[in-house]
Amino acid sequence: MKFWIRRTLAALVSGIVVFSFAACSNNSGQQAATEATETPATEAPPPAEATAEPEAEEPAVNEVLSEVPRNETLYFGGQQWGAINGWNPYSSTANNAMAIAGTVSRRLIVFETLYMYNLLDGSMIPLLADGQPVWNDARTELTVKINADAKWSDGTPVTADDVAYTYATHLKYETGVGVSNKDFIDTIEAPDASTVVIKAKLGEDGTAVNPYQLEDYINREYVIQKTWTETVEARNSDAEAFKNDPAEDVVFSGPYGPYYDDDQKVLYVRNEDYWGVALWGSLPAPKYIGHVMYADNGAQKAAFTAGDIDVNQQFISDVQNLWLQDGLPISTYIDEAPYGICVTMPSAWYNMKSYGLDQVAVRKAIAFAIDYDAINQNAMTGQSPTFAQAPRSLMNPTAGEQAMYDQAAVADLQWVGNDIEGAIALLDEAGIVDSDGDGWREFDGKKLTYNAVCPNGWSDWQAAMEIVAAAGEKIGIEITTYFPEWDVYQTVFTDGEQTEYDIFMYAGDGTGPTYPWARVRQRFSSEFIGLKNNWTGNYGGYKNDRADEIIAAIPKETDEAKLKELYTEAVKIYLEEVPSFALMYRPEVFHAVNETVWTGYPEEGDGKNIPPTDLTDGYGIAGLYNLKLVN
Amino acid sequence: MKNTLRQITQSPKFMIGFCLILVLILTTLIYPLFSPGSPLEMIGLGTFFRPGTYVSVYDSVTTDKRYTINLTDAAEKRVASKLASEDKEVMKTWLLEFGIAEEEIDLEDTEALLDLWFNTYDESIRFDNMTTAVRKHVQRTDAKLDGLLEHQDIIVADSAADGSLVEGSLIKGNEYINVAEIANVRVLPLGTDNFGRDMLKEMISALGVSLMIGLIAGAIATFIGLALGLLSGYLGGVVDDIIMFVTNLFTVIPSFVLLILISFSIGQSDRGATTVAIVIGLTSWVWTTRSVRAQVTSLRNRDHVNLSKLSGHSLIRILVTDILPYIASYVIMAFILQICSGILAEAQLSMLGLGPKTTSVPTLGLMMFWAMAYTAHLNGAWWAYFPLVILIACISFSLNLMNTGLDQVFNPQLRD
Repeated sequence: MKFWIRRTLAALVSGIVVFSFAACSNNSGQQAATEATETPATEAPPPAEATAEPEAEEPAVNEVLSEVPRNETLYFGGQQWGAINGWNPYSSTANNAMAIAGTVSRRLIVFETLYMYNLLDGSMIPLLADGQPVWNDARTELTVKINADAKWSDGTPVTADDVAYTYATHLKYETGVGVSNKDFIDTIEAPDASTVVIKAKLGEDGTAVNPYQLEDYINREYVIQKTWTETVEARNSDAEAFKNDPAEDVVFSGPYGPYYDDDQKVLYVRNEDYWGVALWGSLPAPKYIGHVMYADNGAQKAAFTAGDIDVNQQFISDVQNLWLQDGLPISTYIDEAPYGICVTMPSAWYNMKSYGLDQVAVRKAIAFAIDYDAINQNAMTGQSPTFAQAPRSLMNPTAGEQAMYDQAAVADLQWVGNDIEGAIALLDEAGIVDSDGDGWREFDGKKLTYNAVCPNGWSDWQAAMEIVAAAGEKIGIEITTYFPEWDVYQTVFTDGEQTEYDIFMYAGDGTGPTYPWARVRQRFSSEFIGLKNNWTGNYGGYKNDRADEIIAAIPKETDEAKLKELYTEAVKIYLEEVPSFALMYRPEVFHAVNETVWTGYPEEGDGKNIPPTDLTDGYGIAGLYNLKLVN
Repeated sequence: MKNTLRQITQSPKFMIGFCLILVLILTTLIYPLFSPGSPLEMIGLGTFFRPGTYVSVYDSVTTDKRYTINLTDAAEKRVASKLASEDKEVMKTWLLEFGIAEEEIDLEDTEALLDLWFNTYDESIRFDNMTTAVRKHVQRTDAKLDGLLEHQDIIVADSAADGSLVEGSLIKGNEYINVAEIANVRVLPLGTDNFGRDMLKEMISALGVSLMIGLIAGAIATFIGLALGLLSGYLGGVVDDIIMFVTNLFTVIPSFVLLILISFSIGQSDRGATTVAIVIGLTSWVWTTRSVRAQVTSLRNRDHVNLSKLSGHSLIRILVTDILPYIASYVIMAFILQICSGILAEAQLSMLGLGPKTTSVPTLGLMMFWAMAYTAHLNGAWWAYFPLVILIACISFSLNLMNTGLDQVFNPQLRD
C-alpha cells in the first residue's frame, strides 16, 4: 500500500511540477513550441501537431540557416506550414505558400501575373502586361499587351502564347483555376506574340456572363511558360500525374527562384538576371528569402519578437504591446488600431436546414443580441474597425466599397449589436417564447438549441464564437460552442447537405476587381445550394429569388446610379433577412515587421501607395525594392 | 471510531491539508455572496486588464468633493510617469540626428531637455537612417509631452443643447478626490482575462466546478474500483480471472490516452462539466481495483469472514459488514487521490481543448486554455495563468497532505 501511494504521489508531484513549468515559462521560444496550443488564425491550414523535440530541433535549424547570411536574407513567418511538395503551379497540393498562393493579391515572388492588384485603391498595375487592359465595346473581349521586357528564368521572352497556353492547360487538366473560370472565360487567344485576347463566355442574350471575372483572372492567375508546360506534359501520362509533378525544373519569371528546402525551412534565391530591373529600376534588396517552419503561433511569435522573422503574417493579440510595452523595433502598417487594412468580413453563417433557423426572427434576434464591441476588443484585441465606424453592409470598410451603396437608405436597418431587449421583443412578437418554463425558447414546441462552430486553434474566431454563445443565453436560445479541427471543419461546412453545424464561421472573401459583387454572390446566390464541395458561398443554403436577380443584373450594369440602387437593394435584403452576418472586419493578411535587420517597409502615409500585403502579395511586392539594411 | 477520529485530528499533516481544502471550499461558497453576478460576465472591453483598482473617470471628473493637497513632488512624478528613460533616449537619438551637439543634450535636466525638444522637434522631418519603429516612438513621445511643463488647469467642457461646448468645471493640478467617495470603483484583484471577465471571480467559480468534477470523478472511480476489487478479491476463481483480465487490459492502455479518445468522440457540444467528470471517473478506476483486490484477498480467509459465511450471510452483507470496514481507511485515501487526479485530468484535457464545452461554466483547465490561446505567457499577463497554477498546486498539495496524514495514522509500518 505504501509503495502504491508513494508511487502515485511521486507521479502526481512530478505532474504538478511539469505542469507548473509549462505554464510559467515566459518568452522562451523552445518551451513555447511545445506548449502553446494556438495554431495560426489565418486562412492557412493549421500546422501539424508539434511532435518534434524542440531541444533537438533548435540547433539544427540554426545550423542550416547559417548557410545564408542574415543580412542578405529576408525572413517571413506565417505563410508556410509544413514541408513543401514541389514547385508545380498547376498543382493544388504543392503546399509551397511562398511561391504559389494568394488571393487576387497574388503572391509574386516566383511566378508572376499579368497585373498586380493594389487593394489600397483597387488599381491594377501592369507586371507582365504593358499598359491597362482594354475592353471591346460589347464588354465581351479583354485585350492585354505583353511587356516586351518580360523574360523567363531561362532567358526566353514571355509571350502571349504562354498566357493562352496556360489557360488552355488549366482547362484541359481541370485544375482549380480551370474549373472556377470555365463558366466565365471561353478562351484566351494570342493573335500575335505580344497581344492577348481574353474572350468571355456569353449568356443567352449575347452579353458576357460575368465581365468582372476576366479582370479578376488577369490579376489572380500566374502566367506559366508554354515550353516548360509541354515538357511536364510529355513526361506525365495522365492528368493526376501532371498535376502532382514536383516540377523541380520549373521555369519562372519572378525575381526569386528555388534555393533550398527541407521540412524545417525553405529558401529562395534572387534571380540576378531578373527582367524586372527594367520595370522596377533595380533588383529587390534581399538576396535570399527564407521561411522557417514553426511548430505553432507561440513559437512563431517568440521568433518574431527575437528578430528571427522580419515580416510576419500572424494574428498577434494586443500587437501594440510589442512596441508600447516591450519597446521592440516592431511596427504595423498603421500605428493605431486597427493596425492594418481590413478588407475581409469573417462571418457567422446560419444553416437553413437547422430547426428554427429558417425563421427570420430567430436569425435576426441572435444577430441583434451579440456584443460586437466585445468581439472587436476581446477577440480581435481592437484590430478591426467597429460596426459603429463601418456600419454593417455587404461592403468592406474601404472607402471605395462603402461608396457603392446608399448608406442613408439602410441606416435604420444597420444594427450595432448588444441589443438584448430588441432581440427579445423580436422573438416574443414572432411567438417564439419559453412555453415550458425551462428558460429556453421553443418554436412550435421544440426547444431552440444550436452549436456555434469554427476551427480549433483559430483563437480569435473561437473567442468570437464564445461571445455569440453568450448572447444566445441572454435571449433564451441555447448556443454551445464547438471547435473541431480544420481538416474536419472544412469538409463539413462546404457540404451543402450537412446538418451538423448550425451557426458556423467562415471569411472566404477579400477584395478584388469582382468585389463587392462577388460578396453579394457569396452571401445569397442559390447556385451553391446543396453543392458537395462548395467553397464559394451561401454555405447555409439560403434562397431568395430577388437576390438571384440582382446577382445576375449587377455585372451587366454599367450605369453607376443603377448599380448603386442594385447594391443598396442587396444590402437591404442582407440586413432584413440575415442569412449570415459579419462578426468583425479583418485584414486579408496580417502584416507586422521587425526592423532588427531590414528597414524601409511600407507604412501608411509614406506616399508610396504600397499595400501591407507582406511584401509578397499583389502590388505589395513593390516593398521589396525599398528595403535597406538597418545601420 | 472516536479514537480513530482523535488520531486523525492529531496528525498535523492531515489537519494542514484538511484546513487548506476547507478554506478553498468555503471560499467558493462564501465569495459569491460578497460578489454577486455571473462569473462569466464580460465586464471589460479589452484583453488582460492588469490587477488593480479601477476608478470611474466620469465620476472622478464630475465629483463635487475635491480636496486641495499641495505636494512638492507632484509635478515631478507627473513628468516621470509620462517620460520614461527610454523615451529620453529616443529623444536624444532624434536630436543627435538633427545635428544637436551631444554635450548640449542633458538627459538629467528634464526641463532643459523639454525646452530643447519643443524648440527643435519637427514631425515632418524624416531621417533616412532612422527605422520606422524609432520614428514612431519619437512621435508618440512627442504627443505625450504636449503641455507637460505648462502648469495649466484643465477645463472640462459640457455640451450645450445646441451642440456647442460650454465651459464646465476646472481641474487644478493640486486637486484630489477620495476614492471612497467615488460612486464607481471596481477592484479587480487579479485583473481580467482575455474575454474581459473578472479573473478572481471566475477563478473562484472555476475552483468550485473543478472540485465538483474531482469529486464526481473520484467517487465514480472509487466506486467502480471498490466494487470490482471486492468481488474479484473475495470470490476469486473465474470471476477474479475475468475482472483481473479486464483490469490488466486497462492498465496497459495509458488512461490519459483513453480519456482523450473518449472525450474527442463524445464531441464538444455534448461535453458538459459533469460528462467530463464521468468520463474521467470511468477511465481511472484501475489502480483502485488492483489494490482493493490485493487487500481483500488477504482478508477473505480471516476467521470472522469464515464465521459469517457459515452463518449463511449473503455476499453483499459479508462484503459490506465484514470486509469493507477493514479496508475503509485505505479506500478513503484512494478516494482522496482520485479526487486530486480528477481535477488534474480535467485541467490537462481542457488545455488540449477537450475539456467541458465552454459557455456554461468556467473550470480551471478552460481558463488555462484561453490564457494559452491568447499567449498570456508571452504577453507578461501573469495574472491570467499563474494564480491558476498556484491554485491547482494548492489543491493537489492539500489533498496529498491529507492522504499522507491518514497513511501515517492507519499504516502500522509508518507509525512513530
